[in-house]
Amino acid sequence: MNPIYLFFHKTGSPPWFYNFSGKLIPWLWAGFAILAAYGLYLGLLVAPPDYQQGESVRIMYIHVPAAWMSMMIYGLMAIWGFIALVWRIRIMEVLIISSAPIGAAFTVIALITGSLWGRPTWGTYWVWDARLTSELVLLFLYFGVIALYNAYDEPRKAARAASLMAIVGAINLPIIHFSVLWWNTLHQGSSIGTSGNSIHPSMLWPLLYMAIAFKLYYGANLLSRARVRLLKQDQTKRWVQDLLAKENP
Amino acid sequence: MSHTPFILASYLISTVVLLWAALSPVVNKRSLVKQLKHRQSRMDKSQ
Repeated sequence: MNPIYLFFHKTGSPPWFYNFSGKLIPWLWAGFAILAAYGLYLGLLVAPPDYQQGESVRIMYIHVPAAWMSMMIYGLMAIWGFIALVWRIRIMEVLIISSAPIGAAFTVIALITGSLWGRPTWGTYWVWDARLTSELVLLFLYFGVIALYNAYDEPRKAARAASLMAIVGAINLPIIHFSVLWWNTLHQGSSIGTSGNSIHPSMLWPLLYMAIAFKLYYGANLLSRARVRLLKQDQTKRWVQDLLAKENP
Repeated sequence: MSHTPFILASYLISTVVLLWAALSPVVNKRSLVKQLKHRQSRMDKSQ
């Protein structure tokens, strides 16, 4: 069998996923700690203040990667939701609902840090600007997915409803991304894009280190949550009983 | 206007949120394992 196909085939098995993710999690946390420490060192101590924003530009090293994560996680939830609905892969259902609280946490960080950046730069904590409002809608979508999942007693039915909501809610992602182009917003346009960027390398590198660190954080946190959910769902199954017999499952 | 309180508040709030999100599965797993082990030991005793 093709090794890639075999890997995906194995991923569908809860015991295999539980053991494999258990080995991966410490490495993801270690990578996050190293990259976040270096990114924060560059962002807070090495990078210069911005000529317009002054020292408040340092908030960007956490605000921008958090905002990217809030959108990326919802996008992944929509893709997994589609896979879960079409192929009925239970691990995908577990990944969707395990992702939602992490996505909500990154959205909260993006909104609060953006607000704290806005006060000294724009002179206000909040405006009903298209970018800010669509990001707030994203937070409500995360809450919606979590609430919908918890409204069902049967986990697989709950996951199907949550998957559907994740797919429908994904319409908000292009709205967030293009809001600064489609409407006249107070929020500035993208400084980093596929066609190049307008940021000096001394400010770009800490941003990229933090962006990768947040992705590793997401990976470690997602797998930790997925393992707990699998344990809970399969608590009567043999593999969980065998695991519980061990000292530290 | 000094920017320091805004920067400190941003990093402090982000740290709290990220710590909460990272620690909650650890706490949940501990309580679940404890609960499952307790139930298993009760079943073993009853048999």
